[in-house]
Amino acid sequence: MVFSSLTFLFGYLPLTLALYFLTPLRRRNFVLLLLSLFFYGWGEPVYVGVMFLSIFIDYTHGLLVEKFRSRDRLARWFVGQSVVFNLLLLGFFKYWDFLAANLSLLPGVDLPKLGLPLPLGISFFTFQTMSYTIDVYRRDAPVQRNVVDFGTYVTLFPQLIAGPIVKYKTVAAELVCRTVTSRDFAEGACRFTAGLAKKVLLANAAGALWESCLSSQSAGTLTMAGGWTGLFAFGFQIYFDFSGYSDMAIGLGRMLGFRFGENFDHPYLSASVGEFWRRWHMSLTSWFREYLYFPLGGSRAGTARTLRNLAVVWFCTGFWHGASWNFILWGLYFGAWLILERFVFRGLLARTPVWIKRAYTLAVVFVGWGIFAMEDLGVCGSYLAVCFGGGPLWSAADGYRLRSWAAVLLLLVLGSTTLAVDVWKKVPERGRKVLAPVLMGLGLALSTAYLVDGSYNPFLYFRF
Amino acid sequence: MTTGYSRFLSAFFCVFLGGLLAWHVLLPDRDRSEVENRTLARFPEFSWEELKDGGFTKGVEDYFADQFPLRDQWTGLKARTEQLLGKREFNGVYLCGDALIAKVEPPRDGLEEKNLSYVARLAEAAEVPVYLGLIPSAAEIRKDDLPKGAESWDQVAFIAQAAELEGVESIDFLSALRPFRADQFYRTDHHWTSRGAYSGYRAVMEALGRGEEAEQERQGGFWPQVYSNQFQGTLYSQSGVHWLEPDTIELWASDVGLSVTSWRDGSPREAPLYDLDKLETKDKYAVFLGGNQPLCVIKNPEGTGKLLLIRDSYADSMAPFLARHFEEVHLLDPRYYRYSAVKYAEENGVDAIAVVYSVPNFITDRNLVLLTQ
Repeated sequence: MVFSSLTFLFGYLPLTLALYFLTPLRRRNFVLLLLSLFFYGWGEPVYVGVMFLSIFIDYTHGLLVEKFRSRDRLARWFVGQSVVFNLLLLGFFKYWDFLAANLSLLPGVDLPKLGLPLPLGISFFTFQTMSYTIDVYRRDAPVQRNVVDFGTYVTLFPQLIAGPIVKYKTVAAELVCRTVTSRDFAEGACRFTAGLAKKVLLANAAGALWESCLSSQSAGTLTMAGGWTGLFAFGFQIYFDFSGYSDMAIGLGRMLGFRFGENFDHPYLSASVGEFWRRWHMSLTSWFREYLYFPLGGSRAGTARTLRNLAVVWFCTGFWHGASWNFILWGLYFGAWLILERFVFRGLLARTPVWIKRAYTLAVVFVGWGIFAMEDLGVCGSYLAVCFGGGPLWSAADGYRLRSWAAVLLLLVLGSTTLAVDVWKKVPERGRKVLAPVLMGLGLALSTAYLVDGSYNPFLYFRF
Repeated sequence: MTTGYSRFLSAFFCVFLGGLLAWHVLLPDRDRSEVENRTLARFPEFSWEELKDGGFTKGVEDYFADQFPLRDQWTGLKARTEQLLGKREFNGVYLCGDALIAKVEPPRDGLEEKNLSYVARLAEAAEVPVYLGLIPSAAEIRKDDLPKGAESWDQVAFIAQAAELEGVESIDFLSALRPFRADQFYRTDHHWTSRGAYSGYRAVMEALGRGEEAEQERQGGFWPQVYSNQFQGTLYSQSGVHWLEPDTIELWASDVGLSVTSWRDGSPREAPLYDLDKLETKDKYAVFLGGNQPLCVIKNPEGTGKLLLIRDSYADSMAPFLARHFEEVHLLDPRYYRYSAVKYAEENGVDAIAVVYSVPNFITDRNLVLLTQ
């Protein structure tokens, strides 16, 4: 189930909230666990088994690490075992087909492709549970002895399928004891609505524009203007989609009494690629920093090691996003820019005016989205070639697209800045009190209208 | 935020979600949607097997969406919002002033080439001359009215290509429809109007070498009479644009002296040329011959010649004109008629076969392979 579906909004969510708040405090984790499993099993019921396995293994490994704390080698062994298990789980479901296809290119190797559907959110929950065992070992988090509480953490439906990646230590206390004030609930509801509108109204509109540019590419009529329009459209789509989803998750968490960390901080305002990654999908960047980059030695062990570590981290970051070469390339592309910024451009960037740095960052990021969006590297190459002058500049179709999407593009651009927040803060208290329910009603109603329209499927005997 | 105000906001949120849920539950399920012209999903039957492969939950989602309260109104709200944002395209339909025009997507899998070759093979197998008439849709005829720069597949080039087809005579609908271009198609439906069907009929007669005859009939007169001014067609449904003036349905040709036999449910039955009851339903275009059917024969003892039309629904409104001239007009719809067209032509002694399709249908239809039987 996804948040932006009618079944979730008008079926699962109201029933879940009702059940949750009707349950006495000490039973809430249990109810939440059951509800989250239901949520998880909705799309692929069989994969609830994967979830149980994951809960069981990480729960026992946490206990084992704690039990053998005095024997460090053994404790480390169990941490390693848990990491290996999670990576195998992820590797099997997400990467098997990719590895099989590529290894089979070698002479004498023939591995079958399995074509298994990817268990929902597996990239997120395996990373979360890995952080748990490691944190227990590092004494950053207390061990969890209650399997229901632990299971609640692993399956917690708001962040289960698309993040943010919530580290165990950030919610450890709330898992045991949390309160929901009416203010928490109201602010969570506002946040959720904002996220829903970002996803349904803005991201999908940007997505349609991207699709339109992409279809020009396959029809061979793409122009330079169209190419860049498409890259920007995709960049906006993924930002509003992903950050909208994070907003919904944070809002839902808040309504249930959890405070998750922020995941996006207006990344398109960044003045360097490095800054971009500190403001984009922050929970993932910080996960890699904490559990991969630092353990590898970070930047404290000389230039050569730093370079190696950056390459490893960005290879992994790219590969985490998908089992395909373009994602690896995309990760390494950012790794290269970060290395350049750190070792080559540092002085130059310090002297450059901020608006030029922002433009440079956007250009790097949006070209990156081109690599990200097109899995077929051949298509990707010819698309980017058109963007950089390998095709006509402009066509009538570009004019049509820009006119049709002008208002949407303006909303997308403004929505990527802090303008809305700034304006909201300037509105006097009384105005905000009136506006909040109006905006909430509007956001919910319009999102509903777009969702219903999406399911609207006239059989038009169209052919006849 | 004070506690009281927080409670108010929270309640507002919950009432919106819970209220629509309650409404959904209390609202009796509908069997079908008139606007969408299809059966709506019912709550699926539970079985472990279905649950395991995800079919059950998918079924629940379909049910939930199909039976959602105020479905048509939500769609209308979306279209209005899009209009406010300056969009001109609504679910694949362009809003062009007071008319809706469906965008034509490029054909897939080379279907358009395949379908042409099936017609050529029909011509090889048939003993009588075979004609092919491709009706350009409004997106071509009213090209100038489309939003500037809006894309739609090039139908003219395809029609020209079809005209070159070996062993097949072509019917030139393009030139016939170009004059009076604004009146040839409904504004809220993808079909041609009676005016458009009349132009089409003239083109067919011309191609068959009986243009003179049609010209004379014109003197005798077809009498346009308005039968409905409340027609909201397929494009109205598809686009969600609900604010346009409804279309007018005119009937031009008299049904006096004609007998119509329809094979709607497999066996021959007497049927009206104009099924006026259909004017009371949403799908008012079905007034012509009562709508889709596998086979229909119109007989006119005063006419001459027997014509077999292999056709889509555009022919429904053209048939009344043709019936004034032919002793028999046979209308065969390959979507429902699954037997050999060649054999049918032989058994019924027809003098000519005309394959008459609108371009959007011709390039997407997967039933034309039956012509090669």
